[in-house]
Amino acid sequence: MSAAVTELDDDSPVNPGEHHTHGPTDGQYFKIFFLLVGLTALEVSTYWWDDIFNADTKKIAVPVLLTLMVIKFFLVALYFMHLKFDSPLLKRTFYAGMIIAILVYGAALTVMNFWSDSGTTHFNNPPIDPPAPFCADCPGG
Amino acid sequence: MSDLAYESLEDVEFPDDIHTTSTGISNEKLGMWVYLASDCLLFGGMISTYLIYKNRPGEIAGLSGNTHKVSEYFDIPFTSMTSFILLMSSLTMVLAVNSVIRGDLTRLRLWLTSTAVLGGLFLGGQIYEFTNFVVNDGLGFTSNVASSAFFALTGLHGVHVVVGVIMLLSMLAISFGTRIRAEAVEVVGLYWHFVDIVWVLIFTIVYLIP
Repeated sequence: MSAAVTELDDDSPVNPGEHHTHGPTDGQYFKIFFLLVGLTALEVSTYWWDDIFNADTKKIAVPVLLTLMVIKFFLVALYFMHLKFDSPLLKRTFYAGMIIAILVYGAALTVMNFWSDSGTTHFNNPPIDPPAPFCADCPGG
Repeated sequence: MSDLAYESLEDVEFPDDIHTTSTGISNEKLGMWVYLASDCLLFGGMISTYLIYKNRPGEIAGLSGNTHKVSEYFDIPFTSMTSFILLMSSLTMVLAVNSVIRGDLTRLRLWLTSTAVLGGLFLGGQIYEFTNFVVNDGLGFTSNVASSAFFALTGLHGVHVVVGVIMLLSMLAISFGTRIRAEAVEVVGLYWHFVDIVWVLIFTIVYLIP
């Protein structure tokens, strides 16, 4: 990819005097798009992996899906959103929000036992059996 | 003072009259990025809530009790198609931004219209999916906590797409009237791409990960 070039485009018929930060060309955008389509197709294919390989592929599919998701996220953020070519201040602003979100909700999921989630209603902590109701006539009651 | 002389004076005094902020970034653009950073927190909360409740449909005492998980009814091939449509709209959006930078208003209008149409198609797909859940599968917003979390998350994303389509159509209308600023289109583009990357996360985390 070409480096960012900031110029004062005084002759622009659209908005004279405006700064334009040039990112990728149309052709480069198409290449990035086809890469994204390929990655999405690979992601979607994991839905049929169990049938194709005739085995439980969850342990492989989940890390693959997460990796592809992160790659797609950064491809769009860096190139389509021009984060790679724009001011570092914008990068810091966006990454700060993202990192805070990951930390806060990572902590929240940990508190809720998400990583060892058994899927029970009680979030891995079944309720203690309630004490027997008071019975005046019962022996020892 | 003649116009020419005034322009010369302005160029000397305000050579960079658009970006007069101390950061060198326009307030609109910086404001959009700050908003997007805060939106990360909003969607992070919604995604976490779905993750926590997705396996607990209808079992919590006192809540209505459809015991089916919403994930049982996902139509992955259909959702893959709508994801592809949204991805394609990101491409048309960057082409619109490049067109306005080149000063090519005809192509700008073409790509803005394409992006809005693709956004509309995505919304149509989402409405179809929601209708299927409610009518055919009997799973509505209040059926159980898992479906509430799902509809809240994907519905909130849908609202973002609606706002994006309105912004795109506004840009299109502006391009026919007054002189359009390239940076205004770029800022709308930033919002649109953010909507796309949020869907990248939702599609993987909610739909594809078992």
